[in-house]
Amino acid sequence: MSLFVAQDLVKRFGGLVATDRVSLSVEPGEVHALIGPNGAGKSTLVNLISGLLPADGGSIVLDGVELTAMSAHDRVRHGLSRCFQITSVFRGDSVRDNLLLAVQAHSGSSFRCFRRRSTEAGLRERALELAHKVGLEDMLDRVAGTLPHGVQRKLDVALALAARPKLLLLDEPMAGMGPEDSQQMVELIARLRAEAAILLIEHDMDAVFQLADRISVLDYGKVLASGDTAYIREHPEVQAVYLGTEELR
Amino acid sequence: MSDELHSAAIPSSGGVARWLPWALLVALALLPVVGAQLGLDYYVGFVRRMLIVMIAATSLNFILGYGGMAALGHAGFIGVGAYTVVALVDAGVSSAWTAWGAAVLVSGAFAALIGAVSLRTRGVYFLMITLAFAQMLYYLAVSLSAYGGDDGYGLYSPLELGAGRTTGDAALFFWVVLAIAALVFSFASRAAVSRFGHALTGIRDNETRMEALGYPVYRLKLAAFTGAGALAGLAGALLASHNNFVSPSTMHWTESATLLVMVVLGGLGRRWGAVLGVAVWLVLSEVLKLYTEYWHWPLGLMLIAVVFAAPRGLAGLFDDRSSA
Ligand SMILES: Nc1ncnc2c1ncn2[C@@H]1O[C@H](COP(=O)(O)OP(=O)(O)OP(=O)(O)O)[C@@H](O)[C@H]1O
Ligand SMILES: [Mg+2]
Repeated sequence: MSLFVAQDLVKRFGGLVATDRVSLSVEPGEVHALIGPNGAGKSTLVNLISGLLPADGGSIVLDGVELTAMSAHDRVRHGLSRCFQITSVFRGDSVRDNLLLAVQAHSGSSFRCFRRRSTEAGLRERALELAHKVGLEDMLDRVAGTLPHGVQRKLDVALALAARPKLLLLDEPMAGMGPEDSQQMVELIARLRAEAAILLIEHDMDAVFQLADRISVLDYGKVLASGDTAYIREHPEVQAVYLGTEELR
Repeated sequence: MSDELHSAAIPSSGGVARWLPWALLVALALLPVVGAQLGLDYYVGFVRRMLIVMIAATSLNFILGYGGMAALGHAGFIGVGAYTVVALVDAGVSSAWTAWGAAVLVSGAFAALIGAVSLRTRGVYFLMITLAFAQMLYYLAVSLSAYGGDDGYGLYSPLELGAGRTTGDAALFFWVVLAIAALVFSFASRAAVSRFGHALTGIRDNETRMEALGYPVYRLKLAAFTGAGALAGLAGALLASHNNFVSPSTMHWTESATLLVMVVLGGLGRRWGAVLGVAVWLVLSEVLKLYTEYWHWPLGLMLIAVVFAAPRGLAGLFDDRSSA
C-alpha cells in the first residue's frame, strides 16, 4: 500500500486552475520527484498537500489516515512536514533557537508558561541532534538571517525534520544554490530517505535524476506523465514541454 | 533571541539586573510610609494608579510585543473589569477579592469571545475589529442607565480586603496593588521565556512557518489574547477601586491608543518595556500638566523623537546587544 495518496486535487485562483485534478502517490522509502516548468503549479500542490492552502476538491491520505479536512498543524502531527521554496526560518533568532522552536512543537505542550524553556535539557538535546543531522552543529549560536543562503536552506530542512515526518515535502531545496551547496543538499536528501519518504520538487535535473525513484511531470496544473527516471527521460511529450531545453545525460 | 537576553533586566551587567527589581520593589513598598510622613499622599495615589496602568500595559505588551497582535481595543477589557466591579457592588457584594476575581473571569470570557472572532483576521483588519468590539463595549456602557450611563457610577463604600480592612486604607490598598503588579510582572517575565512565550514570538516573526512546524497557531494566539484580556480586566477592577468611580470613558478608544503608545514608547516585546513606558508617560504628563494645559504637544514630540532615536523603545536603549 502506498504511504501517501493524493487524489483529484483541485485548486482554482479565480479563473486559473492552478491544480487540475492531480493524483499522486508516494511509496514508503521512496523519493518521488515532481518537475515542471515555472508556474506549472508545483508549489501550489505542496501548499494543498501541507494544508497551508485549502483545496477546492480532492483527498489526501497519509499512512491510512485521511488528512483532507485537517488543519496544516494537525497534518504535521500526523507525519507530513514541509520546507519552503523561499527559505522560511526565524531570521532574527540563533540557529539553536530556531531548532529549539521546531523541537518544542513535537515534545509536550506549548501552552506551558511557568517554566523557563532554557531549563529543558531534553529539548536542547533534540535540537543538537537535529543540528548534527544536517551539519549545523558549528553554527548554533549564529543568527539565522546572517548565514549564507546554503546554510539557511539546511536549517529550513532541519526545521521540517523536527516533526519526525513520514513524508517530507521539499519545495526546490536547491533553489538559488551554487554547485557545491547543491551537491551537499543532494547528499543530505540521500541520507534523509532512510527516515522519511520524500516528495521532491526540483528544477535541477542532475539532482532529480540522482535522487528520484519516480518522477511526475506537472504542466498547467495537470500531471503530464509519471514513471521511473528512464521512462520520463524518453517520454516525448515531456521532452517537448520541459526537458527540451535541458541537457540530458 | 536567546534566553539570556530575555531574562536580562534593563542594564547589561548581570549583577545590577538581579538586584534592581528587588530594590525597586522595596523602594515602592516604603513609599506609603515615607509619603505619609512627608505629606505626599497625592503622590502615593499617583504611583498606585501608575502601578495599575502598568498591569494593563504589561498584558498588552504580551500580546502586542511578544505575540505581534496589534490590538486597539485593550481598554475595552479594562472597562469590562471595572463594570464587573460596579455590577457586583450594585448587587451588594462587598469583598474586594470576590469583585476583582469576578472581574478577571468576566473580562477573560469577553476576551475569549472577542479573540475567537478577531483572531481570524490579521494586521490592520485585526486592529479595526478589536477597535470595533471595544467601541461596542463603550456604547454598551453608555447605554447602561442602571449604572449611570454616560455619567458613570460612584462606588461610595470601599471594598473589604479582609480582617476589617478596606480599600479605603490608602497604604494597605497601595501594598495590595503593588503585590499584584509585581506578581503580574513576574508572571509575564517568566511566560516570555517559557515555551508559550517562545511559541508566541515565533508566531509574531513567522506565522506560516509556525503552522508548518505543527503549532496550533490560532489556539496559541487565543490563549494569549484571553489571558491578556483577563489581566486588563484585573487592572480595570483595581482602577475602579482606586477611583471609587467608573465611567464609560475608561474604555474609550483613545484609552486603548494611549496604552498602545505607552507600550511602544517603553519597548515592544521587552521585559521592562510596558513598565518603563507607563512610568515615563505618566510622570511626564503629570509634570507637563503643571506648566501648561497644552501638555499633549511636548508629549507627542517626545514620542516622535523616541520613535526615531530609539525605535526599539526606551527599554531597547539599555540593551547593548543588537538582536531583538
Ligand atoms: N495565491 C495565488 N493567487 C493567485 N494565483 C496564484 C497564487 N499562487 C500561485 N498562483 C498562480 O498559480 C500558478 C502556479 O503557481 P506555482 O507557484 O504553484 O508554480 P510553480 O510550479 O511552483 O512555479 P515555480 O517553478 O516558479 O516555483 C501560477 O500561474 C501562479 O501565478
Ligand atoms: Mg514553486
